[in-house]
Amino acid sequence: MAVCVAVIAKENYPLYIRSVPTENELKFHYMVHTSLDVVDEKISAMGKALVDQRELYLGLLYPTEDYKKRYGYVTNSKVKFVMVVDSSNTALRDNEIRSMFRKLHNSYTDVMCNPFYNPGDRIQSSRAFDSMVTSMMIQVC
Amino acid sequence: MSRQANRGTESKKMSSELFTLTYGALVTQLCKDYENDEDVNKQLDKMGYNIGVRLIEDFLARSNVGKCHDFRETADVIAKVAFKMYLGITPSITNWSPAGDEFSLIMENNPLVDFVELPDSHSSLIYSNLLCGVLRGALEMVQMAVEAKFVQDALKGDGVTEIRMRFIRRIEDNLPVGEE
Repeated sequence: MAVCVAVIAKENYPLYIRSVPTENELKFHYMVHTSLDVVDEKISAMGKALVDQRELYLGLLYPTEDYKKRYGYVTNSKVKFVMVVDSSNTALRDNEIRSMFRKLHNSYTDVMCNPFYNPGDRIQSSRAFDSMVTSMMIQVC
Repeated sequence: MSRQANRGTESKKMSSELFTLTYGALVTQLCKDYENDEDVNKQLDKMGYNIGVRLIEDFLARSNVGKCHDFRETADVIAKVAFKMYLGITPSITNWSPAGDEFSLIMENNPLVDFVELPDSHSSLIYSNLLCGVLRGALEMVQMAVEAKFVQDALKGDGVTEIRMRFIRRIEDNLPVGEE
């Protein structure tokens, strides 16, 4: 279902990005990059409300051409998760996206807790994180 | 002192995450301080030994176990009382050698490695080597020379974590000269 998963650091540089059709990788990088502005906008626009509800999920960022939608999620430490989802299978509900993000968040927490990972580095050598992302990507694809 | 007062036989609770992260910080710092993994392993073993020789007193005082009559009994006490008390797990004891001087402690899950993934650059690091040192140090204080080493490690892709223990000899107390 997810065709691209990205983890973006607080300072807006990518910690992890992976997309399924590898030949178009750059396109997905652009997509994620442009959606960061929307993420920032959403955070500042509904910042107060988000804090009050402890809501990390930002919802649909915006739909675009070729049936792909992006969703955003931001942790309290301002680490952002962006997911590009192929919406040609319309069965995806908000709740499922939300639970996918929660899974991603948990996995990310585990990576952070690995003593061999230095915070701020790219997430490269984590097999557990890799396989979790893979499982999110092939669920429907 | 309050610390002395609540030191009973009941086990105290502490956050296992804090414990795991503390140990992780220790190991990674050692990895930074030493050039190669063998030195880190050695250092962990040494630290474990120093912990072991102290920990045995605490253990004997709190657990009320008596003298063990043979190595099998010792193995039981280690797995069922000591590991339970300090790590909250009970490893199983298997693979006794025919002579009864070697056995394996099998740990299904090792609380020291909860979040850890070994990077490729540290493939020969024995992450939990501290435990071997602790076992060696503690048993030495009760007149048993043993050798402990990891033969399987879940961090390296094995299904379980296995510590092999080998009894070497009893340490005889040397009486000071002039005393019978």
